[in-house]
Amino acid sequence: MQQSILKEPIVIAENLSVSFLIQRHGINNFKDFVITMGVKSPFEKKNVLKGLDLTIYKGECFGVMGRNGSGKSTFLRTIAGIMKPDEGKLTVKGRVAPLMALGVGLEPELTGMENIKLVGTLIGFEKTELNASLQAIIDFSELTADEINMQVKRYSSGMMARLAFSIAVATDPDILIIDEALAVGDMGFRNKCAKRIDEIKAAGSTIIYVSHHLEEIKKICTRACYLEHGRVEMIGDVNEVCDYYEHQVIRKKA
Amino acid sequence: MKQFNTFPKFWGLIQELALKTVKLRYKNSMLGFLWSMMNPLIYLVIFTFVFSYAFPGIDRYPLYALTGLMFWTFFSSSSIQVIESVINNSGVLKSINVPTIAFPLAAQVASLISLFLSLIPFSILMLIFGLEIGWETLLFLPILFLFACFTFGVSLILCSLNVYFRDIQLAWTSFMPAIFYSSPIAYTTSVIPEKFLWLMKLNPLYHFITILREILYYNRIPSLMQFLAIFALAAIPLALGFYIFKRLERGFVSQY
Repeated sequence: MQQSILKEPIVIAENLSVSFLIQRHGINNFKDFVITMGVKSPFEKKNVLKGLDLTIYKGECFGVMGRNGSGKSTFLRTIAGIMKPDEGKLTVKGRVAPLMALGVGLEPELTGMENIKLVGTLIGFEKTELNASLQAIIDFSELTADEINMQVKRYSSGMMARLAFSIAVATDPDILIIDEALAVGDMGFRNKCAKRIDEIKAAGSTIIYVSHHLEEIKKICTRACYLEHGRVEMIGDVNEVCDYYEHQVIRKKA
Repeated sequence: MKQFNTFPKFWGLIQELALKTVKLRYKNSMLGFLWSMMNPLIYLVIFTFVFSYAFPGIDRYPLYALTGLMFWTFFSSSSIQVIESVINNSGVLKSINVPTIAFPLAAQVASLISLFLSLIPFSILMLIFGLEIGWETLLFLPILFLFACFTFGVSLILCSLNVYFRDIQLAWTSFMPAIFYSSPIAYTTSVIPEKFLWLMKLNPLYHFITILREILYYNRIPSLMQFLAIFALAAIPLALGFYIFKRLERGFVSQY
């Protein structure tokens, strides 16, 4: 791990706190909310991340582990800019491509081709960029000319996942976030995805990978952290963190 | 990390989303957008039968009703679509970093596109019913623009609240008929007693519909006062809409 210390940090979280609003019920709360224009809110804050400190370095493949509800997804959403920190500081250097849930933004009634344009625009492609990578996306997805002009609602779930993944990894982003999205497609496509991730890594991008699948994490990542109750409980070499995770799960069960 | 920081890029997103909405609306139907005209036409037929007997004083009654109905249809359909836009796209907003405002804005643009499409057959109908075209007809465009701003402002306020309280969209659909009948769409204000006229003028739609009729039905150039009134009625809700949206936007993600 000596070498990663020498590297340039790309994501720095310092004492990061992120909260959710939980609704309180009752008509009076609603009245207060309207009268005070959202200042006195009928909502309670629930902290999901509580003072998280973490640094991820440029070019590394970083695994994030933790039990359900430990704040993994919230952390990734904050990196992606979807959620805003309440306290603390989060520095993210570069363009983030979040692959949170595969198939988000796909419109079943439109054709594959139309969907490439739609989802591509949503994730921030400009028109010229999109036209330039159109063929590459189609090639990568392995969809035939017939299939690409078919409505997406007629796709099998594997085909849909292939299309979604192809759009998401069309360019080399500075940071690629993968939230358990890889368990898709048939064997051939999965290998291709793994290869593409290696390519993205080789091009110098950073990958943040969330999974419960220890083998996958060990295969892809070099470093990892274990989150619990919105804090980093352990950070270090991927094998050590995986062992720790296994121990935690077994201990909790017992 | 601002992905839509340039105007062309942001506008590209709005276009793509708006076109998608328009395409989807008519994709699987055979008669396409003709259906979107059915609703105002059915009303028109009913009104012509019922009201031209009730208010025989109105000259060219179908044209009179149609000028009101067209814009009412725009107001009612686009407000509902804008109000639901954020909630309906929560899946995307939860996983991709796109500016939230893009969805209500695109819904409004899509409604405007639909309105312009429907203007083609509607103007033919209006010509049949005795519409006269003059230079003053051109004023239609700036008035329509202000009307769209007003609609968007009101809908944006409701849209922001609707993310927290879904009651808003349910309540709004129930209020629709009340707003409809309290606006001078099917009848003229001459049937309203003088002493209650102020009450009617509290309804912003009154001012927009009157000024549109002024040019399309009476072929008159509206007074400056009328223009100032609708300008204020467009600007205030629009500013308020953006302000409330910005204030409430932060908490949206917890509600998806």
